[in-house]
Amino acid sequence: MFLDFAQVLGGTPLSIWIQSHLWVTPLLQSIHIVMIGVVFVAVLMITLRVLGRVGNEETFAAVWNRFSPWMWGGIGVMALTGLVLGIAEPVREASALSFWLKMSLIVIGILGALTFGRTLRPFAYVGDTQFSGGAKAVAAGTVVLWLCIIFLGRAIAYDVEVWGSLHLGPVESSLR
Amino acid sequence: MDLPGIAQFVHDTALSEWLRDSLKAMPIIEAIHVMAAATVFGTILVVDLRLLGWPSVQRSFSKLHHELVHWTWFAFAAAVITGVLLFVVNAVTYYGNTAFRLKMLALIFAGVNMFVFERVTGRDEAAWDKGPTPRAARIAGALSVTIWLSVLFIARWIGFTKGYDFSIPDDVNLDLNFGQ
Repeated sequence: MFLDFAQVLGGTPLSIWIQSHLWVTPLLQSIHIVMIGVVFVAVLMITLRVLGRVGNEETFAAVWNRFSPWMWGGIGVMALTGLVLGIAEPVREASALSFWLKMSLIVIGILGALTFGRTLRPFAYVGDTQFSGGAKAVAAGTVVLWLCIIFLGRAIAYDVEVWGSLHLGPVESSLR
Repeated sequence: MDLPGIAQFVHDTALSEWLRDSLKAMPIIEAIHVMAAATVFGTILVVDLRLLGWPSVQRSFSKLHHELVHWTWFAFAAAVITGVLLFVVNAVTYYGNTAFRLKMLALIFAGVNMFVFERVTGRDEAAWDKGPTPRAARIAGALSVTIWLSVLFIARWIGFTKGYDFSIPDDVNLDLNFGQ
């Protein structure tokens, strides 16, 4: 079903316009990668504060309020550039297991960030907050989750090589 | 041996051949390179924005710099190691690629900017550590952001200009005259 939709999407004027203007895809991919840096380091800074490795002279709220707007803003720009990149090459994306795993982990990452912010808010204004082992584990897990998202993003181009027969489209259709 | 000769020598090594033949190595190396580059850029951006005084100058610059610089260097080391491996795979092509050369030039500019900041601009850091930064520091921050953005943009262009090394299956009849 998704592959059928992708094939229709690939024939739309917008998709054809992007495909025929060769500068669009590298430009959008570059912006996408810049935003990966913004989002990942924003997550990393919040995580390191929970782990007590940075910003210990500040409250968690100060660190969260400084970096979470960058995280959400970066996720927003990544969603936009990712959407247009998906419209440009819908069959390639829809037939890649890496793409669907990446999308699933992004949903978990966003829900996790929302939950994380709300859960820790009661402790946010205590200057020398010591977070529980569970909170630290979730924070460290969040960094691992975003590393997996970055890996899967790059693996879309190598879906057959990475997943073999689990690739969702014809094996010969995987292009770098 | 001249530079093209060195590129050819690197391309002919057993490591290069093994990497080209390995199905799993390239996506793993490329993914680690992206993770490392994202971390380098992101951590440098945090410091540069503090130098630019945007959005605030509340935090001590020296403390922020001290907290992040280890992460930046760790990620930079990972980016260099994976970058060298990516170069080894296709050394001759990369050597002749204009975008690759521009990226190396941009990295040199980034190094020079950092060196000048550490040795000149940053020497009186104590005077502006917990407040607005002087013009020289703001210029260093703006240059750094610009150069590192250039590195990322040019790096992505390499993938679209280096060409592809693939063979056409025997049973495919490519009509290179487009029917004429």
